[in-house]
Amino acid sequence: MEFDQRSPVYLQVIRWFKERIATGEFVGGQEIPSRRALAAELGINPNTAQKVYKEMEEQQLITTERNVPSRITTDPQVVERVRSELLSEAVAEFVTAVQAIQVPLDEVMSTVQNVYHTNERGELDA
Amino acid sequence: MLEVHGLHKKYGRKRPVLQGVSFTVPPNQLTCLIGLNGEGKSTILKSIMGLIPLDAGTIVVDGEMSRERIAFVPDLSTMPGYMTVGDAILYMEDFYPDWNQKTAEELMAFFKLLSTDKISDLSKGNKAKVNLLLGFSLDRPYLLLDEPLAGIDLFTKEQIAWIFSSHYMEGRGILMTTHEIAEVEHLIDRVVFLQDGKIIHEDDAEEMRELYGKSVQDRMREVFQR
Repeated sequence: MEFDQRSPVYLQVIRWFKERIATGEFVGGQEIPSRRALAAELGINPNTAQKVYKEMEEQQLITTERNVPSRITTDPQVVERVRSELLSEAVAEFVTAVQAIQVPLDEVMSTVQNVYHTNERGELDA
Repeated sequence: MLEVHGLHKKYGRKRPVLQGVSFTVPPNQLTCLIGLNGEGKSTILKSIMGLIPLDAGTIVVDGEMSRERIAFVPDLSTMPGYMTVGDAILYMEDFYPDWNQKTAEELMAFFKLLSTDKISDLSKGNKAKVNLLLGFSLDRPYLLLDEPLAGIDLFTKEQIAWIFSSHYMEGRGILMTTHEIAEVEHLIDRVVFLQDGKIIHEDDAEEMRELYGKSVQDRMREVFQR
């Protein structure tokens, strides 16, 4: 995993999990690696892995019971919350970028639709 | 906690190198000591180990004035070149009661070193791996690493940096000096800045990113390019 050196590593790793939860790559109830295994797999400090799991427990993204591996949440509301959070973040970033170059909204929308469909077709061809 | 209090050191008639250096190395964390060349980083590590006499200062390890709980990995191999990796391991095993043979064997396999490799024939990167193997195989709660990544190619650096995300970090407070911040930036817990013989800042790396959006390198530029 490549890291942005200017944002906290634990937040980047949580985001990595959220993306996989939102797309269904990680399904509800799925076991996740131990803290130790996660640190080694992603090449992060074991303390950071510890913080990632603690934070994800607080955000109810994972559940942990004594002596068994942590699991991805089975709560559909949490998954929906993660999806809408990622969407809002991406849109907010995008809107800031297009507002900076002062493009009218209707032109933005039609361009978005074109690019969205072109990308989708590209994915089907690939 | 490894506590360094008021280190003073002057070599001959020159300007003093250390002028009251104080900082801490918490357990279970990777602390990086950063300073420009000639600021006395190696002098600090060596004086913590008692390898060079200090003019003043104390080292306290978990409340005791004893260095038995600290392991030191120097930047150059201290093992005679005619030894093989296997000889060096046997020597350490004989000499140190807290030697962990299991860790040594695991790290030898991970670093793809052979016990028959002669130390003097090894590349710089492989010598650094032997040094780390010897240091991490001592079961001690504190470990000092002097420039473990200096002069090593990128690929080997990545292999070496792996150890900082491994379970071999558990139960160890590590103090490391390095100029190769880019490779380990995301692995460091704390940064201690040394300038003009004093510690001028102690920062938590994640906090620096979270509160100020700054990388360790950004912070270095701020601190040293004044």
